[in-house]
Amino acid sequence: MLTFQSVILGVLLGGLYALLAAGLTLYFGVMRVVMIAHSAFLILAAYLAWYFHRETGIDPLVSLVGTVPLFFVLGVAMQRLLISRLRAATLTMMSVLLTFAIALLIEGLLGYVFSGTQRRTQLSYSGTSLDFFGARVAVVKLIAFGLAAAALLGLYVLLKASRFGLALRATIQHREAAQLAGIDTNRVAGYGFGLGLATAAIGGTALALDTTIYPSLHWHWIGPLMAIIVVGGLGSVPGAAIAAMLLGLTQSLLQLPLGTTWAQTVFYVALFATLAFRPQGFFGGRLAQRF
Amino acid sequence: MPSVSSLLRLSVVVAGAALALSFPMLAPNPYILSAGVVVASYAVLSTSWNFVGGFTGYISLGHGAYVGLGAYGTGLLIIKAGLPSFAALLLSAALVAALAVPIGIASLRVRGASFVIVSISLVLILLLIFQSWASFTGGSNGLVVPRPFPGLRRPDHHLVFFYLFCALLAVALLSWWVIDRSRFGMGLKAIREDEDKAQSLGTPTFAFKLLAFVASATFTALGGGLYALWFGDLDPVFQFSILTGAYMVLMALLGGVRHLFGPLLGALVVGSALEYFKVEYGSTQLHLVATGLLLAAVVLFMPDGVIPALSDVYNRLFRPRATSIREATAAELRSQEEVRG
Amino acid sequence: MDATQARLRIVAGTAIAALALAGCGGADDSDGSAADPITIGVSLPLTGDFSEPGKGVQRGYEAWAKIVNDKGGLLGRRVELKILDDQSNADRVVSDYEQLLGKDAVDLVFGPFSTRLVIPAARVAEEYGMLFVEPAGAAPQVFEQGFKNLFYAAPAVADDHYNHLADYITKMPASQRPKTVAYAAMDDPFAQGTAYGLKEKLEQAGIRTVVNEVYPPNTTDFGSIAAKIAASKADMVVGGTQYQDAVNLIVALQQLNYQPKLAAFSTAPTNPEFSKAIGAKTEGILAPTGYTEKAKFPSNVEFVEKYTAQFGTPPGEDEANAYTTGQVVAAAVAAAGCAEQGDCQRKLVDWLRANTVETVVGPLNWDEAGRPQSAHMIQQYVDGEIQIVLPESQKEAEFVFPKPNW
Repeated sequence: MLTFQSVILGVLLGGLYALLAAGLTLYFGVMRVVMIAHSAFLILAAYLAWYFHRETGIDPLVSLVGTVPLFFVLGVAMQRLLISRLRAATLTMMSVLLTFAIALLIEGLLGYVFSGTQRRTQLSYSGTSLDFFGARVAVVKLIAFGLAAAALLGLYVLLKASRFGLALRATIQHREAAQLAGIDTNRVAGYGFGLGLATAAIGGTALALDTTIYPSLHWHWIGPLMAIIVVGGLGSVPGAAIAAMLLGLTQSLLQLPLGTTWAQTVFYVALFATLAFRPQGFFGGRLAQRF
Repeated sequence: MPSVSSLLRLSVVVAGAALALSFPMLAPNPYILSAGVVVASYAVLSTSWNFVGGFTGYISLGHGAYVGLGAYGTGLLIIKAGLPSFAALLLSAALVAALAVPIGIASLRVRGASFVIVSISLVLILLLIFQSWASFTGGSNGLVVPRPFPGLRRPDHHLVFFYLFCALLAVALLSWWVIDRSRFGMGLKAIREDEDKAQSLGTPTFAFKLLAFVASATFTALGGGLYALWFGDLDPVFQFSILTGAYMVLMALLGGVRHLFGPLLGALVVGSALEYFKVEYGSTQLHLVATGLLLAAVVLFMPDGVIPALSDVYNRLFRPRATSIREATAAELRSQEEVRG
Repeated sequence: MDATQARLRIVAGTAIAALALAGCGGADDSDGSAADPITIGVSLPLTGDFSEPGKGVQRGYEAWAKIVNDKGGLLGRRVELKILDDQSNADRVVSDYEQLLGKDAVDLVFGPFSTRLVIPAARVAEEYGMLFVEPAGAAPQVFEQGFKNLFYAAPAVADDHYNHLADYITKMPASQRPKTVAYAAMDDPFAQGTAYGLKEKLEQAGIRTVVNEVYPPNTTDFGSIAAKIAASKADMVVGGTQYQDAVNLIVALQQLNYQPKLAAFSTAPTNPEFSKAIGAKTEGILAPTGYTEKAKFPSNVEFVEKYTAQFGTPPGEDEANAYTTGQVVAAAVAAAGCAEQGDCQRKLVDWLRANTVETVVGPLNWDEAGRPQSAHMIQQYVDGEIQIVLPESQKEAEFVFPKPNW
């Protein structure tokens, strides 16, 4: 029974990981950028949702209407104004430092504006749960998972079925060839960044429903997320999603015998094992060999 | 016979050292002295970082891991093994050096993005381990490192450690200088400029990188261990902090990774600024904002550091007709080209 | 570029940095004349993990300063608090006290909040030779560091907080009393001290431990810990908690519809925000406390009245412990007739070692290591209000057992 409960919790958590890792994969795909600030934006979105709820009393989910477009625009602006300024030769290293700086900036500003105090959204349905074949599934976790799943599905459809998705995938696979085929890869890269950041907005709102947030929380997310994208194969969205589900589930199951903290090491063990035995990742990612 | 310019150089270094050593006498109160110790420890750390960052161009954001390992190693060897403080410090650094070999082998195989991911992950995983393994490390309760000189009043304690940090800094700088002028150093710099070409020309790139990496980790561990002896209270959250690694990178980049005194200069600027922020804006997170802005500015506008950027401005303003025959290394020439380009 | 110029610049930079560093430290001299205020340095976690109780301690200190000043101050001098924020961070707490003692040259210091921060802070004070009275370092480790200037200004150390509850449970008829207990404690000396003090006593009485979880202070996801507790169907749950972790754990337990017969959490339930944070389902939750606003000690009556006038609500335990700290230091200062750094501090310490101080939590005296020698009471939410239920002699309401559903 307890195991089943953990499987449920693991799947719910894995869904959120999958969405966030998909965003991180997009940046890497279009620009070869490891976006350290991804989880800082996640926490920023969570704060915006919490603040929106506290000030207006309206359900925090409504804040998505504002944060998703805002983050999309921010993402495009970040790629066009900052990332594209870096020298191509040192892009990977310098972009890590640059996005790291942005993460610090966001953490510092959140701390300055909202203080380091832990915050939790108080919803009327915070404590309610549903019975699912004997396991208890908290309503808030279910909503968060639904949100993540819907966003991931939307992203998948966009990538697979639209012209823009085609251009984006072409850019990820071979930038020069895409340019030759008449794709404005700079613009596509900008939109790719915007989409990635929009996933952080959705993920953050989902996070705000059920978790306590504080400014430095993003460090607890970026490690697992980076591990997921390496295990999944840098640049592969489905790979990231599968790795996210598997690792989320493993983490949740390991919590029973090992406890919360030790269970988290599963991400790093998987990361080191991947780099040692199969640096290109387990679920795709032709790109990865060289990075 | 030494040339005039090298004599001048030497006298400048001596003057700088004299100024640093007289700092405790100039410090108006014990708090400033303790801030001086912190800045000196930053100088040690950023100079240590520069063994790998400066020579090979591999940017490690995870050097906080070696700070923490050095600190905890020292503390645990004193408490669990009953070693004298400074023997524990040296043994701890030796252990970290041994540990850095497999870590280096694993992480130097991969270039670029993966190297950075591994370096960050190392800090995060060590944080988890040191928090969880409470029976050995003290966990979140922290570890209290016994004072090496019990009974010393606090201002005297700071004084002693200020000089200890200065001594360690001198050793680190001297080692860097020696490597810089050796064949080994030339090989490392070749890796920084173009790893593939260096390899094809017969440089044993992997062994060289590994050696630089281990030297860097060892000096970092010494810095961390000395900090543990000075500070006395270890908490995994602060010992294994990504922020420590970020400060090291920022200091080295700001000062200029290609120069012996670059990281030291960066540490003086950033370290003093951090302490100033603590005093002036103690209750806010503004020091993070300032760190973030400064790091972004350095990355975007002067990735080679202040020294080349300033000298470039100086050259343009005051030496418009510099001749083409001059004493400069290829690296310096190249860095100037990059700044201009 | 010419390397000489670069080095010149570096040295110039060094000089500037050193001067800047020296310049920002204009130490205020205090010659201790009667007109000068007595400055008291404190560092508190106003943000971060411990900010909720930290702010409570701040209110307590401020209330004490106001009440003392309204009566004409200490030794005829006004008292002034200088409070810094350590962000619940051990590195900062050290640098804060360093700054207070080394740069600002305060005359006295009060302790910070949370055991984790007390030990580093106490060492700074010890090495400056300062008296260190603290409102929140209750864990056994605090008293094992060999500090000679430390005094804990509350009735009892953490391990003894649940003593009355342990007595009560072990004296229940065997058929009724809880048979299994689940423990979850933050990896924090105080939080663990409270939970494990109770655990030891219940295990001696043959009550089984079915879950024993420890989590690091920054944990926010309590789903799996709650799942384990719920699956164990323990009769009783004990949380060695601070504030936010207790709220998160309780909400997670509610989500799993786990209904224990007894639920005890340290610290959090006495916080005024607690009830709202867990959706008002507080009935029957237990917590140890060293303080009740209804206590009849003369100084407490005054404290509650003036505190309520100043802040609009009656004081809680954190406020009271802070106020007690003020009272203890004030008593020593009045007796020794001095308040400045240096030899005076020795006199203050010696006086406290030898005497009993009347405070809002009753008369306090200390052993050699600074441990107070009294006991804690047990509170429970009864009819939506937190009330003393144990010991018998001080109770305001009947002990509710089993706990109603949450």
